Amino acid sequence: MEMREASLDERRQFYSEEWNKRELPDFILHTLSLREFGFDLDGTGPSHRYNQFMTVEQLAEYVKNRAPYSAFTSVALYEQPSMRKGWMKSELAFDIDAKDLPLKSCSCTSGRVCELCIDEARRIAMEFAETMSKDLGLHNINFVYSGRGFHIRVIDDAIMTLEQTERAQIVEYITGSVIPTDVTMALGYSQVFRERLARTFEGMDEQRLSKIRRFRRSVIQKLMVEKERALGAIRRGKLDELSELEGIGPKTFRQLLEFLVRLNSEFTDGKVTIDTKRILRLPSSLHSGVSMKCMLVRDIGRFKLEDAVPKFVHERGH
Amino acid sequence: MIAPEYVATLDPFVAEAKKLVETSPPLDSMPQEIVDRAIARAKWSSKDMVVEPDAEAIRADVLSFYLMCQGVAAVSYPYSREARLISDATKETIKYRMYDLFKRGHEDSCLDVIKRSLKLVQLEGSDGVKLGGIEIPREDIYKIRDRRLAQDGIETIDDRLLPQYLPRYGVRWTDLAPLLRHRRAELTKLYLVNGRAVITPRDLWDLFSDFIAVRTDEYVASVYERFSDIGAPSNRLAEVGEHISSLLPSELELRERFTRMPRGKLRPEFFPPCVKIAMGGVGSGVRNYAITVLLTSFLSYARASPSGRAATRIGDFIRDISVVQDEIAAPIFEAAERCKPPFFKDQPQEKANIYYHLGFGMTTEPRPEESGKSKWYRVPNCSKIQMSAPPLCDPDELCRKIKNPLTYYFRRLSEHARSGVGG
Repeated sequence: MEMREASLDERRQFYSEEWNKRELPDFILHTLSLREFGFDLDGTGPSHRYNQFMTVEQLAEYVKNRAPYSAFTSVALYEQPSMRKGWMKSELAFDIDAKDLPLKSCSCTSGRVCELCIDEARRIAMEFAETMSKDLGLHNINFVYSGRGFHIRVIDDAIMTLEQTERAQIVEYITGSVIPTDVTMALGYSQVFRERLARTFEGMDEQRLSKIRRFRRSVIQKLMVEKERALGAIRRGKLDELSELEGIGPKTFRQLLEFLVRLNSEFTDGKVTIDTKRILRLPSSLHSGVSMKCMLVRDIGRFKLEDAVPKFVHERGH
Repeated sequence: MIAPEYVATLDPFVAEAKKLVETSPPLDSMPQEIVDRAIARAKWSSKDMVVEPDAEAIRADVLSFYLMCQGVAAVSYPYSREARLISDATKETIKYRMYDLFKRGHEDSCLDVIKRSLKLVQLEGSDGVKLGGIEIPREDIYKIRDRRLAQDGIETIDDRLLPQYLPRYGVRWTDLAPLLRHRRAELTKLYLVNGRAVITPRDLWDLFSDFIAVRTDEYVASVYERFSDIGAPSNRLAEVGEHISSLLPSELELRERFTRMPRGKLRPEFFPPCVKIAMGGVGSGVRNYAITVLLTSFLSYARASPSGRAATRIGDFIRDISVVQDEIAAPIFEAAERCKPPFFKDQPQEKANIYYHLGFGMTTEPRPEESGKSKWYRVPNCSKIQMSAPPLCDPDELCRKIKNPLTYYFRRLSEHARSGVGG
């Protein structure tokens, strides 16, 4: 699927013919007047901030008239969104951008995305949501296809008033970016860590492992030969079996573990989650950079990229 | 069954405790025995921590707690070393009292108090252990036990102590947010199932006593803010605070012991929004307030971090006058220059007024011996800033939880220190 930039005419066509207020998720619609809206009108960045809409009709009029390159809304609710004052609470948001995934099985160049890496981002989003539900007991979890990846927007009351430090700790937990004291427990963070570690290690090849400083070639080769055995050990929480592989002492093992953990932390942009005043792409709007609709995904397991393709893309070349 | 008022000794912030304070004479007119208790509790050993279940002992305990907090707020600042000393001491006290009550078979009374702050459930089942319908593997239960035993350095255990180490409760992790915020708890160290952390009685005492410690820190901050509003605290409170402060090793001694300890340099990245706005220079309507009132007091108190005695003279806390000139006055003058129009250009006399507000009298050449010649102005509370200079006030989330810009700064510093991030 070709993901090229939308022209101004295509944007206008999208907002006048296809954009529908019914595609705004309820969690935004019901708090519309409490959110800050931001717009990028010409592709130079979201410089039109501090907008407030009292009704969805006002928003509709704005986007139809201006056909913005990008539209955003805050994760925060404010008493005075047009001044970003009177912060009330914020969604817990995760940004899983396919172009920034630290491990991809596709050959996309930097800054590009394809169906394959978008699907990888989708699977990461599902993993994260499962942990949030099973471990953190969060249930009001919304998925948004952003155009280049996925946003997870959690609106459970219990987490809306959390501050940056708590949110930073949630990122650590969900991504598995802290080495636990016990990796063998069946449930809890121990399990999350094993799963994330196994997923990351599975994506390793010789080239990626060679990025670890002072990692010997023979060690890399050994790890690749014994990859299945090593993966099994990680999944069972028997990490010490890894350090027993020939040529891998405790120091090398530690280096490997720290490398994998750092990669774990890069599957989402932690800054987005921590920032309680962030603006995120508005579901229902157009991602003009790739000519895709940013949309609420009701069933992430069955998401198909075709659902997010605007009509004008189908009409291209006709 | 223990007396209902006894809850106040486990949580000094419950309504029963507040009622005791309200129906007692003012804290600064307390009898000597309460004053002594307020000072002593910062260094209590476990035998001192237990309170007899009679009304007078409970009252003395609660009053001495509040006197201790107010004394510290009178001679230091939010999240100061003194504040940490008493919040840690309070944590140990509450923890020991919990332990003592459990030991004497009063678990239910303890849980009643805890449940006012933390949503707690008992783990279900006598055979397999369940939490919210999810079966927790038996092996994990023993691992949680062993982890806690290792944490306490216990290698062999008798049947009497064992139940304290077996997972028995589930506590909602979101209730622990204040502990996560201050890094007194870490999410990745909790065993989380379906939104609850599976914990042992020992963990519960730790978490709850940490919870009270955080509230103690917040209470000291709120009293400090109140003093900023009403002026200098009473001599009696300052006296209690000075005694508590004297229990700490001196700054100098500490620096020698830990050579990497920060030397109190200002950290602008932790300044509150109003100070950042003032530092950037402001327009003619609010220049005077931003520079002379807010920045002068904020930067001087933030840099001096006065502790150990009531803050009346900057010279008591900063001996080296170059610190006043280079680290306090210089950034104030730079901010004044950035104002539109530059503040001192049309009001050159204001330069002397800056030193006047720092307590050196009307001068442009401050000398250490002149500290105290004029009043060292305290940092105005947020409500005053909002009223006097609304453009300076652009609150963020933390602003909603504090009432004075200094509390903001010291809290951010404290959070940063606890996060273990260097620099």
